[in-house]
Amino acid sequence: MLRKNRMLLVLLLLFAVFLTACTPETAGTAPTTSQPAGQPATSTESPAAPSQELIIGFEADAATMLANTDVNYVTDIQIRNIYDPLIDRDEKGALIPSLATEWKNLDPLTWEIKLREGVTFTNGEPFNAEAVKFNIDYILDEKNNSFYRSRWKDIKEVKVIDDNTVHVITSQPFPTLLLRITDDLLIMAPKHTQEVGLEKAAMNPVGTGAYKFEKWTRDDSLKLVANEDYWQGPPTIKQLTFKIIPEFSARLSAFLSGEIHLFKNVPVDSVERVKNSENGTIAMVGSSRINYLALNTFYDGPLKDKRVRQALNYAIDVDELLNSVLNGNGTKMTGPLSKVNVDYTETKDYGYDPDKAIALLKEAGIDPKSLKLQLDTPNGRYPMDTHVAQAIASQLQKIGIQVNVQANEWGNHLAKIRQHEMKDMFILGWGPAFDAQGTIENLFTEKAPYSGFYDKDVEAMIQKALPVFDPAERKKAFDDLQHRLVDEAAWVPLWQQGDLYAVSKNLQFTPRPDEKFLVFEMKWNQ
Amino acid sequence: MLDYLIKRMGQVIVVLFLALTTVFFIIRLSGDPTALFLPPDAPREQLEEFRKTLGFDRPLYVQYTEFIMNAVQGDFGNSLRTREDALQMVLDRIPATFQLAFTSLGLSLLIALPIGILSAYKRNTLLDQTGVAFTVLGQALPSFWLGLILIYLFAVQLKWLPTGGGGSLIHLILPAMTLAAYSVARFARFTRSTMLDVLRKDYIRTAKASGVPTYKILSVYALKNTLIPIITLVALDLGVLLGGAVIVEAVFSWPGMGRLLMQSLLNRDFPVVMAGVFLIAFIYSVMNFVVDVLYAYVNPQIRFK
Repeated sequence: MLRKNRMLLVLLLLFAVFLTACTPETAGTAPTTSQPAGQPATSTESPAAPSQELIIGFEADAATMLANTDVNYVTDIQIRNIYDPLIDRDEKGALIPSLATEWKNLDPLTWEIKLREGVTFTNGEPFNAEAVKFNIDYILDEKNNSFYRSRWKDIKEVKVIDDNTVHVITSQPFPTLLLRITDDLLIMAPKHTQEVGLEKAAMNPVGTGAYKFEKWTRDDSLKLVANEDYWQGPPTIKQLTFKIIPEFSARLSAFLSGEIHLFKNVPVDSVERVKNSENGTIAMVGSSRINYLALNTFYDGPLKDKRVRQALNYAIDVDELLNSVLNGNGTKMTGPLSKVNVDYTETKDYGYDPDKAIALLKEAGIDPKSLKLQLDTPNGRYPMDTHVAQAIASQLQKIGIQVNVQANEWGNHLAKIRQHEMKDMFILGWGPAFDAQGTIENLFTEKAPYSGFYDKDVEAMIQKALPVFDPAERKKAFDDLQHRLVDEAAWVPLWQQGDLYAVSKNLQFTPRPDEKFLVFEMKWNQ
Repeated sequence: MLDYLIKRMGQVIVVLFLALTTVFFIIRLSGDPTALFLPPDAPREQLEEFRKTLGFDRPLYVQYTEFIMNAVQGDFGNSLRTREDALQMVLDRIPATFQLAFTSLGLSLLIALPIGILSAYKRNTLLDQTGVAFTVLGQALPSFWLGLILIYLFAVQLKWLPTGGGGSLIHLILPAMTLAAYSVARFARFTRSTMLDVLRKDYIRTAKASGVPTYKILSVYALKNTLIPIITLVALDLGVLLGGAVIVEAVFSWPGMGRLLMQSLLNRDFPVVMAGVFLIAFIYSVMNFVVDVLYAYVNPQIRFK
């Protein structure tokens, strides 16, 4: 007995010693660090040499170094420093020239794009119309199995008119072509890609971008160096590394220890830790990515009734969710589009009105206390997603509605939506969402895989709006649709996601609504 | 002996076959991979078309037969995400995983053996209890948590070591320590109990009586006999280390096989998952096979059982 007790004591003692070793007081989190400030242990942390290497912590490795192939944003964001687009976006999301200087419609089926002269790829190849044709043809060629192909299927032909002019001919009016060119298309060096073959080009990319490829170690890092002959002038940051750190806590640790200078998606509950750190600060921007609660009409339940959907809009207090769950890191939405969307129009805000919600339910012949609904949410895909779902459930509980929250693994969540296995409500995010069509066609029509809403009249309105070419007429059609969708209460619109970045204090960095890390725009503080 | 070898080899093949079959069907229950690769605005027709290209539209048994026929020839197909050869992708990660597993194995033996031996020799003393308590603690701490704590302490606060990544010996220290914590407990306790048995043996008493110094009794006479069962445990543990590395590899961004498998599983990159499962099962069975054969070689009784 005595022996046992002694052993227990020793165990407890050891554990206590271990824990003390980990508390902030003894380890010195707060101002009393064991390292005097300004005398960092690692060279990466030394203040702002302009030639210093920038290390960006990133959650996942690129799938390939080929452009126009993998649609995942983790690939796109990294390779965008190697390849340039024809058309880019400014910090507000508006289209600006990049490798293309001008673009216009000759007729609804023909687009003329003028290209920048005197640009060369980093291997010396000239950039010209042939290069543009090569890259669009690459997407369209079934053999290449580009994940972008479906978006480009309406392209009939790319014609080289002269060295700096191409005509893109479409098989039917393609009003969103410019957005596809902006968001999807990056220009690879055609000769290089053909000469070494796709397999090798996937490991050794050549573009016209601000950075040249140096080394890619799978699942570890991507190293790039400045392209001193860049057509926009040499970048000020000469060396750039994307360091792959899948685990968020490890990313945070790496940031706090000065190993990385920048990373995206700081969880709301870790913002203070970054702010309180010696060398870090938080940058936030309203992303184009939106989060919403879909009120699923594909499921044969009470939500088929418009009044019930409207009641839910009145019963959910989005401002409260935003403040209490997300600490204000997001921008409230009232309709299907966010304010950074070029086609945004202001729509009616239901506001929080539980009495009205109860009245509407009664009108629909439903006693709120007998209403049981299911709410599906992904787990960890969007900021605080499961917490948001729980909070929604408790808000609905206030008027008597019982909500069963179901958290799904991401792949399963998508599959349930696609196969129409979702029940009453589900949380989903959507982005980059800069144009109305991309959101409305894909989320409110009968056949779209991730749609949660279908109404015959609304569908007719959408199909009528899609091919409209005249900008004013198109705007009108999509404005009407936004009002209609809000009136139909197809969603409870939540917010435009607030993207939180941890940024080294030495770095001049302005976050972009399109989530890109364009290192050419960044600088070290002198 | 030859009969025994052939029989055991047959068992290895059966195990591999069963592992692959089980995983093939279970992973297909987890859902359709196509949608995770295409953009969310891809229309249903393209999803279908892509499924067709990948052959996922065919009946399961057809897919299975084809998979097994190819797997026998070492062809697991190409990764759906990177389009590279799946088996090659996994093989590329093996060195990093082995490096981590063997280092932590070495580290845990280095810590566990002395603790076990001393605990046995000084049994029921404070030293013994501290040793046991220490090892139990190591086993009880989840590696995820322990890893983060070690990062916080040695990388963020003290700045002695990097928080993660691969490439050099310095990067290896923290993950190896984390991974070793669990095995240390097993090894130390096993060493202690085996050593206790051995120390009770007559030949030890004889040695003691004839005045052989204690350190020599422990390190030469007793240790040799203690090691035999430990070798078995090590071989089995290496399998556990290879599998358990998944979490540690993720926490420390170690570019090993476990991380690749985890990522591929979440991406539903079936070919890579299958190739990885095959390799792990292969390594595990081969290791068991080698140990069994060694045993049979040492102890003829086993061969005839």
